[in-house]
Amino acid sequence: MTNAGGVVIRGLRKRFGDTVALDGLDLQATPGEILGVAGPNGAGKSTMVRILAGEESPDSGDIEIGGSSWSHALDGHRVAVVHQEPQLFPNLTVAENIQVGRESMRRGRPRATGEEVALMQQLDIAGVSGVQLELLPLAVHQKTEIARALSRRADVFLFDEPNSALTEDESEELFEWMHSLARAGSVVILVSHRLGEMAAHCGRVCVLRDGKVAAELSGDTLRAEQIARELVVGVRQTAGDPSRRVAARENRPLLATHRWTHRGGRFHDIDFTAAAGEIVAVVGVEGAGGRELVQSLAGLQRADGTISVRGKHSGRAATSHVEFVGADRHDSLFTNLTVEENLVVRQYAGIAGRGGWLRRKAARQLAQEARAKFVVKTQDIDSPIRSLSGGNQQKVAIAAALAIDPTIVVLEEPTRGVDVGSKAEIYGLLRDFSKRDRAVVLYCTEFSEVFDVADRAVIVSSGHILDTVDVWRFADAESLAEHVTALTVRERERSPAIRDDGQNLSRVTDTKGQT
Amino acid sequence: METSSSAVASPKAPGPGGSPWHQNAFNRERLMETLRGAARLGGLLAAVAVVMAVFAAASGGKFLYVDNLLGMLRYMSTLAIVGLGLTVVLIVGEIDLSFANLYGLAVTVLAVSWMVWGWPLWLSFVLTFAVAIAVGCFNAFFTAVVKIPSFIATLGSSALIFGFTLLIGDAKRFSPQYPPDGTHLPAGEVSFFSGLANQKLPGDLPMQVLWMIGVAIIFWVIISRSMFGFRVKAVGGNQAAARLAKLPVVKYKFAAFIIVALAAALAGILDVSFIGSVQPDSGQELLFPTFAAVIIGGASLQGGRGTVLGTLSGALLLAVIANGLALLAAGAFVQQMFIGSVTIGAVVLDLFTRKWRRDS
Repeated sequence: MTNAGGVVIRGLRKRFGDTVALDGLDLQATPGEILGVAGPNGAGKSTMVRILAGEESPDSGDIEIGGSSWSHALDGHRVAVVHQEPQLFPNLTVAENIQVGRESMRRGRPRATGEEVALMQQLDIAGVSGVQLELLPLAVHQKTEIARALSRRADVFLFDEPNSALTEDESEELFEWMHSLARAGSVVILVSHRLGEMAAHCGRVCVLRDGKVAAELSGDTLRAEQIARELVVGVRQTAGDPSRRVAARENRPLLATHRWTHRGGRFHDIDFTAAAGEIVAVVGVEGAGGRELVQSLAGLQRADGTISVRGKHSGRAATSHVEFVGADRHDSLFTNLTVEENLVVRQYAGIAGRGGWLRRKAARQLAQEARAKFVVKTQDIDSPIRSLSGGNQQKVAIAAALAIDPTIVVLEEPTRGVDVGSKAEIYGLLRDFSKRDRAVVLYCTEFSEVFDVADRAVIVSSGHILDTVDVWRFADAESLAEHVTALTVRERERSPAIRDDGQNLSRVTDTKGQT
Repeated sequence: METSSSAVASPKAPGPGGSPWHQNAFNRERLMETLRGAARLGGLLAAVAVVMAVFAAASGGKFLYVDNLLGMLRYMSTLAIVGLGLTVVLIVGEIDLSFANLYGLAVTVLAVSWMVWGWPLWLSFVLTFAVAIAVGCFNAFFTAVVKIPSFIATLGSSALIFGFTLLIGDAKRFSPQYPPDGTHLPAGEVSFFSGLANQKLPGDLPMQVLWMIGVAIIFWVIISRSMFGFRVKAVGGNQAAARLAKLPVVKYKFAAFIIVALAAALAGILDVSFIGSVQPDSGQELLFPTFAAVIIGGASLQGGRGTVLGTLSGALLLAVIANGLALLAAGAFVQQMFIGSVTIGAVVLDLFTRKWRRDS
């Protein structure tokens, strides 16, 4: 593998409509090192990954690999992207997955070449080479993807959030693999939200903000807390009013769980409360169980234990007062309906007449009210929903949930992919809502969001609550980020890889079946 | 065609009334959407006119004889009644292939319970519709609860239903005018039954057309004016979002499958009343024309779209084609080929109009 010079990215630009995803990204990765790439959502990480994977092409800028200009169309196989969910053929065996697309032209079924067998032995997957991939754990999928890439002479490996669904042991093994790939002279790039691991395994970490590299950390400065701090620097902050934040704590709890345990094993024995007037953020990396926890509070994931909402106990009765808005707008909006219809789609009593008639005037009235109250910028509420900008679509999704006045509203990453102006407006809406004796529960992956809108942050790690912090005690988002990251890292150090937190693959797939 | 963009126009916005976005009366997106809807329906009716003109010319004017047009309307009514039921299933995002055999099952159950078992007619009706509801629940159970694709679930139930029909009817024909040996049907019941589709109407209009109009009004209310119709559109448009918004997805799927089953049973009873005899396989030739009519009428196989007016127009076009081909003595084989082509053409049309919507 001749790879002198490694990967050099120069002035990479990409825009989607009005959104600038990459704004002249410059990045270098040398063979033998593991380069970490971190950044808040929307900073351009995933666009960079997609360009290197050949799923997007850049508007301008160039990429060099091993000293010569590279494009995916010419030399795509040199770059291997290992995703969180590998993109393989689940119906084929491990060996077939490695061969597919380049089977030898001899008649009959393709047979693994000696080299391929050797690769599988190296990666410790030779024993299952004849087993269908879908029957095997995720870690094997990722190894298969690595073997597939190696057999194609790839020398640049891009790991995109590779271990969010792996157990601790499997993660450790994966990291060992990254190191040995690097030792063998490949370029290894790790894109991740898990800052502790990044600090531990990468030689250098680039923090992306607004489509370019904002900071580069190495040596002594390369600590998880420092990365966390860099992630939130320069993000406009709209911190709320601290007196209210204190007051909220003294209110009675609207929502409380006791020994709340996920049926798929993603979290266990959670005692969670949210008081009237409070905005609580559940913070945790992907795979820590936070997402499943907030979904279970809305009755969308199965969990055992007790839950009570405004004094009502037991599953369905409790969660019927909880509305949920997912992170992905594709899962919260109805593209075949107009803006008006999207705004009132969760209503029942407000727009239903006697005998199940649709009271169209009432629906229009409610939609107009919601449009004004939730500052949805549209020319006309009869427009198709897709005519709105991303920020306004998100406001419609949130407005539809808030408009039916639930006791509690649960939102996942409410401002993901939303412009700064809409962000502040959405935070304002959530605060106004919580003030009316309601509670808001958020699932956040960004510290700047937690600092901007939450009163209290519940930190989730490996399926249990690590700690709860009052956001108002922190002077700025940087110190909050640093504190939480330090907590998480310390926790991981205290209980090293052996902890079995039950995240094996079969359970992960169970969870997916329910969502 | 879009139900929401019409009628209620109340520009007085509560709250901060001076919002600049709202005062802008001209909205390109909305105009385009309305135009697309109008163009689709207009295009469809234009196609009907062209096809009619071609048949009129080719048949030397016979196509336009009043008797012929009335017969065509009768066939259209059957297509429309079943098609409206199917429209609801498509809006909710599912498909039903079993309605054609259910049509045969319904009339067989009616005939057997009334003529063979000697039940009173009203009780036979109750049983017939109960069977239809049961079949609807069966389809919905496997689709919405067991979660196998409705294409497979209803393909299977279709075969199951047909076998069951042959079993209970012993693959026989039945006629109220000539009941099986040894049974005597009360004359009142017989005349009531044949009166369902054979009343003397002004202009010799087939009674079934009135039934179609009544059914169409009911479906218009269901689809465009009820909570059910609104939410069914949402469920069909984005099932994941509907689940997260806690809309009763499963319940609505049951309702949709029950509705198409009831519509098919009703269409079957009316046809038997008109024709005067029952055959177990009599519904089978409705399957493709009905699908073609509904898809041509603008209902989408992807769910979330479909209108009463569209389905009625689609049924009209298919009735014209079927009748015209029969008149030209094209023969059953050619007719089959034609229906097949039209069905594929309709789905291709659906695909392209969706692409067009997305791209523009």
